[in-house]
Amino acid sequence: MFVLLRHLQRVRREAALPPRRGSRSLAIRHVDAGSCNACEHELTATAAPQYDLQRFGLDIVASPRHADVLLVTGPVTKRMEGALLAAHAAMPEPRRVAALGDCALGCNVLADPSELAVPLDRLLPVDIRIVGCPPTPAEIARAIVEFESNSRSR
Amino acid sequence: MSGPRVDAPARQTTEVSPTPAGGWREACLDQLDRGGRFCGAYAAGAGDHLRWNALFASGSTTRVLTLAVGAGRSAPSIVDLLPAADWDEREAHDLYGVEFEGRASLRPLLDHAAPTESWTVPVRGEGTFEVAVGPIHAGVIESGHFRFHVVGERILHLDLRLFYKHRGLERAAEGMEPAAGIAFAQRACGACAVSNSVAYALAAEAALGLVADREIRRARTLLLELERLYNHLNDIAQICAGVGFAPGNMAFAALKERALRLNEGLVGHRFLFGSVAVGAGGPQVSSVDADALRGDLRELGEDAASAWRELAFAASVQARFDDVGVLAASDAAALGVVGPAARAAGIAADCRSWSPGLWYGTGFAPALPSRPLGDVAARLEVRGIELTATLELLRELLAEPIGPGCSGPGEADLCGVARVESPRGETVCVAELRAGRLDRLHLRTASYANWPGLAHATADNLLPDFPLINKSFELCYACADR
Repeated sequence: MFVLLRHLQRVRREAALPPRRGSRSLAIRHVDAGSCNACEHELTATAAPQYDLQRFGLDIVASPRHADVLLVTGPVTKRMEGALLAAHAAMPEPRRVAALGDCALGCNVLADPSELAVPLDRLLPVDIRIVGCPPTPAEIARAIVEFESNSRSR
Repeated sequence: MSGPRVDAPARQTTEVSPTPAGGWREACLDQLDRGGRFCGAYAAGAGDHLRWNALFASGSTTRVLTLAVGAGRSAPSIVDLLPAADWDEREAHDLYGVEFEGRASLRPLLDHAAPTESWTVPVRGEGTFEVAVGPIHAGVIESGHFRFHVVGERILHLDLRLFYKHRGLERAAEGMEPAAGIAFAQRACGACAVSNSVAYALAAEAALGLVADREIRRARTLLLELERLYNHLNDIAQICAGVGFAPGNMAFAALKERALRLNEGLVGHRFLFGSVAVGAGGPQVSSVDADALRGDLRELGEDAASAWRELAFAASVQARFDDVGVLAASDAAALGVVGPAARAAGIAADCRSWSPGLWYGTGFAPALPSRPLGDVAARLEVRGIELTATLELLRELLAEPIGPGCSGPGEADLCGVARVESPRGETVCVAELRAGRLDRLHLRTASYANWPGLAHATADNLLPDFPLINKSFELCYACADR
């Protein structure tokens, strides 16, 4: 265990992460609305020692009931539409919607159109757009941290 | 671990046998008697030309039995002979309207409008109740619905309802040029993008009558092993997360991140997207780049080995893995389970041990754990052994540069079939062409094959152990849903 912890310390030193600013936090609820799983891999990686998004007070939470941001991946399949809307409805106000990845943004989607619901931005008001196929953990981190600091200055 | 890399036969072969409905079950039994292994079934065509096909693997040959279903839309079920065909028949019913005679029940698989009673097994008795989970889960997890039937904390039975992420990729690919179809196979799953793309490329090349040269085969093998490397590191991290062992989770997550960065350096994409093409070469690697990559991989391997040792000595963690989520070899074989999950139960099967069309050569030995009990511990150990084997393979592959490849003319199959060992096991791809365009694309991934086995392995375990058992299989939802 001590070797693992030493190893992690070294990784963090090498990553030279920028320090945390401010003291506010943002709770994020992720919903996969039909992605290919690459966006999920990258979103998971934002918690890895090289990025450690939690140091900005950004956390993936288990329930939409205590989430500020709904982070959606995938092109919104018909079978996920209901669950996605239910998750959004369960969130307290003020709430924000983030589209993670090109599919969620309706770009370059590969699918049988009859299996898809309408694109995300016609279903819910999208506030944060994170482009990429998939966006890298650094891009995801930057987009969310920027949104968090902009909303603070407003 | 493995013998010398003698170049294997250039391609996988397919034999198609039209079979009448009256002799369907006998023909399937005959394939099994002759040592064939069921590896999928799919419907194709429409109207009077609707067909039902069953695939049987034997070495590098795949036999396709095909039954003209026609307007009657009915075929004899084989699920009593081959429980592994359960999902295939249910999918053909829901998507193609094929009826199967002789089945006790044909529960909906993709039809989500069907009421809960129609797709769950009724469980009654004192103290039994249901726990419904999903499609949205608590963490960053793909969408899917689980219905646990439990007594107290003990799971009696698990019903799965996946396909929330069904995007109709196979249907969307119909009518495409064979070279363009690869995008649909790749998009099925980000974490298995290379496996699915290579399976598609080999299937399409067989249908087109193209044979890839040695450089293409080496490039594809390099990509497949790089995909296995980051997936196995990820899976070990996830198993640690499954028991809440944060140092192990974070150490292996950090190693996976390093593997992804190596991928980006090699082909410009962390998940190796766009690196496989039909009839053309993959990434070219100069001798300088090959040496540099070998050095990076050696360092990564050393750190992975030291993290693995630490994990092995964390006795309180290891104690959580023994005898949990047991999948017996007989059940694994009956349910058609493949990959590390099958090898953990002692089934010595790995597509890499015969893979023609790739660069594994002959003498590749499937990894078997020291205690092949089919539990979480065994599935974890298989990942560890394979990690070492993959790093060794990469070291050998990168001993010489990889040049631009080309493909030459060969024999064209009526129906191109390819089988490739993905990080989760055997993935089968079928490409049927008509007038030079894709008439049917079918992708039966290892995750699709293994989901019923995972559900079976959870029975009689405690509900709080489900995340651990689930992570020890680490199946993709996207791969199964397509």
